[in-house]
Amino acid sequence: MAKKANTVSTNNDVIKSRSQFQEVFHRLLKNKGAVIGMIFLLVLVIIALISPLAFDYETQVIGQNMADRLQGPSAAHWFGTDEYGRDLFARIMWGSRYSLIIGFGAVTIGLVVGTILGAIAGFKGGIWDQLIMRFIDIFYSIPNIMIAVVIVSVLGTSTVNLVIALSFSAATGFCRVVRAAVMTVRDQEYVESSYAMGLPTWKIIAKHILPNCLSPIIVQYTLQVGTTIISASSLSFLGIGVPAPAPEWGALLSGGRSRMRDASYLCVLPGLAILFTVLALNLLGDGLRDALDPKLKK
Amino acid sequence: MADLVLDIKDLVVHYETEDADVHAVNGISFQLGKKTTLGLVGETGAGKTTTALSILNLVPNPPGKIKSGSIVLDGVDVLKLSQEELEKVRGNDVAMIFQDPMTALNPVMTVGEQIAESVELHEKVSKQEAMERAKEMLRLVGIAENRAYDYPHQFSGGMKQRVVIAIALACNPKLLIADEPTTALDVTIQAQVLELMKNLIREYDMSMILITHDLGVVAEICDDVAVVYAGRIVEIGTADDIFNHTHHPYTEGLFDSLPNLKERGEELQPIKGLMPDPSNLPPGCSFAPRCPYATDACSKKVPELRPVGGTSSSKHMVACDAYDDPKFCLRRNKDGK
Repeated sequence: MAKKANTVSTNNDVIKSRSQFQEVFHRLLKNKGAVIGMIFLLVLVIIALISPLAFDYETQVIGQNMADRLQGPSAAHWFGTDEYGRDLFARIMWGSRYSLIIGFGAVTIGLVVGTILGAIAGFKGGIWDQLIMRFIDIFYSIPNIMIAVVIVSVLGTSTVNLVIALSFSAATGFCRVVRAAVMTVRDQEYVESSYAMGLPTWKIIAKHILPNCLSPIIVQYTLQVGTTIISASSLSFLGIGVPAPAPEWGALLSGGRSRMRDASYLCVLPGLAILFTVLALNLLGDGLRDALDPKLKK
Repeated sequence: MADLVLDIKDLVVHYETEDADVHAVNGISFQLGKKTTLGLVGETGAGKTTTALSILNLVPNPPGKIKSGSIVLDGVDVLKLSQEELEKVRGNDVAMIFQDPMTALNPVMTVGEQIAESVELHEKVSKQEAMERAKEMLRLVGIAENRAYDYPHQFSGGMKQRVVIAIALACNPKLLIADEPTTALDVTIQAQVLELMKNLIREYDMSMILITHDLGVVAEICDDVAVVYAGRIVEIGTADDIFNHTHHPYTEGLFDSLPNLKERGEELQPIKGLMPDPSNLPPGCSFAPRCPYATDACSKKVPELRPVGGTSSSKHMVACDAYDDPKFCLRRNKDGK
C-alpha cells in the first residue's frame, strides 16, 4: 500500500503505475508452488527447444541400435535404453516437444473456439445461449477420451488429428467459463456506459467485456493444458495418439509396460516426466487463481 | 422551436416479460431548451431512468420496447435512426453519467484511455491527440494530469465520478443526461460534484437532464423540474413553480416527507402506501389510491396535463383533475400563504 501511495503522489513526471496484471504477477511471485511450477515449465520449454540440437531425431531418437538394448541408466545413456536400444533420455527430451505442442496447441484452439462460443452465448443470451450451451452440454456429457477416440478413429491417427480431438473437450470447458464470466460483466455499468458512449458492440465485447473475463480464462487455460497432456498421453498409451515410433511420453510408457519387471525405469521415467509437468501446470494454475482473486483465499 | 435541444412526445415504453407487461413509461412529453437543466424527480421505479435511456435508444431490448412516441434531438428523431447513426449520436451529441461511479469505469483500462476512447471514436484525431485531450479533461474536472495513467482502483469514489464526468464531457455533447450522479457519494463530495457539474454546464453551454430523487439537489441546480409518477409526468414547471407553487398532491407528498428545518420536532409525513405495480396500474389517475384528495372521479379518467396559470410561470402544468373545481387548493398552499 505504501508503495502505491508513493507512485501516485510524486511530481509531474509521467508515472507508469502498476496495472492490475502487474499486481497479479507480484502476488504470484509470493506463491512458492506457483514459482516452482513456472520455473519447471520454463525449463521444460527450453528443453523442448534445444532437444533437436542435442540429439539427432533420425539416428538417436528413433534409430534402432540392437547392440545397446535394455541397458540401465549409465554415464553413456543417462536414462538407459529401451528394447530397441534407443536412448531414453533423448526420447523423453524429444517427447516434451510432443506433450507441449499437443497440450498448448489443443488448448489454444479450444480457447479460441470456446471463447467465441461462450462470449456469444453469454452476451446474446436467449435462444443463442440455449442453442450453444445445449450443444456444449452434449459434448460435456461424453467422457473426453471417448470423444477423442471417436474423432481420431474417424480422422486417422496423427499428431494434428490428436490436437483436433483434444481441442474439442478443451473448448467445452472454455465455453462454460467464458459464458459465466461474460454474463457477470455484461451488466456492469461500464459496459452500459460504453453503449451510451456510442461504441459499436464488437468493440465493447473486445475492449470492455473480454479483458474483464481474463482471470478465469487464464486459470482455465493453465489447468486445461495439464489435463490435455494427460489425455494425450493416455491416447498414445492406448495406441491411438501420436503414431510410433515418435517418442510421445504416453507411448514410451506403453512401450515400457511389458518390461516393467526387469527394466522398470522404462516406465518410471516417462511417468515422472508426465507427473512433474502436469503437477507444475496445476501448481501454476492454482497460484494464478489465488493471485487473480486474492479475496478467495482469505 | 429553434432553441429546443430535446422534444419528447408521448413516449411509451413497456418491458414485456414472460409473466407481465410492465408499463414503465406511459406517455411522457416534455421539451428541453438550450442551456437549461431539467430535473426528473420521482420515486424508484417511476420510469425516470427508462425515459433517459430512451433518449439514447438504449432501453434494453428484450424485454424493453419503445411502443410509441417521438424523441426529437436537435431536429432528428432518435427512434428512427439506424444503429450506425445512433452510435454517432451517443457520446457525441448526448452523453450519459451513470449512478454508481464505483462500477462505471472499466477496471482494466487506465482512466486516460477511457476518456480518450470516446474522443477517438467521435473525432478524427490520433491516439496522442486523444490522450492529450483526455488529460485536458482531467484537469478540467480537477484531477492532476499525470493521473491519466492510473487505474480506476487507485481513485476515490468522488474522483471516479469526476472521471466519469470527464468522459461524458470529452466530446462536448449538447445534452448531458445525469442519472442520479450523486446518489452513491457522501454529502460533502456530493456538493463538490454538483458544483463542478453546474460550472461545466454553464461553461460549455450544455443542456442537462438530471435524474434524481433528491429534491435538495434539484433545488440546487435545476431550472425546470418534472415530477414523474408511475411513468407519467404529474407536474412540470420551473423550479420556482414546483417548490413554491406546488400543485400536485404527489409533489406535496414528496415535500411533506422531507424533514423540515424550521419545525425540527415535527414527525415526517410519508406518502401512504406504495407505488402501484407498473405491470398492473390502477385505472384513471395512478396516484389516486394514495391521494388524500382523491374522489371517485379520479379513478375514472387519466388526468391530462393542464396549465396552472395564476402566479406560476407559463411553463407550469399539473395533471390533476381536482382543479376542475376552481376552489380546489392543496393543504400546503392553504396554510402556507
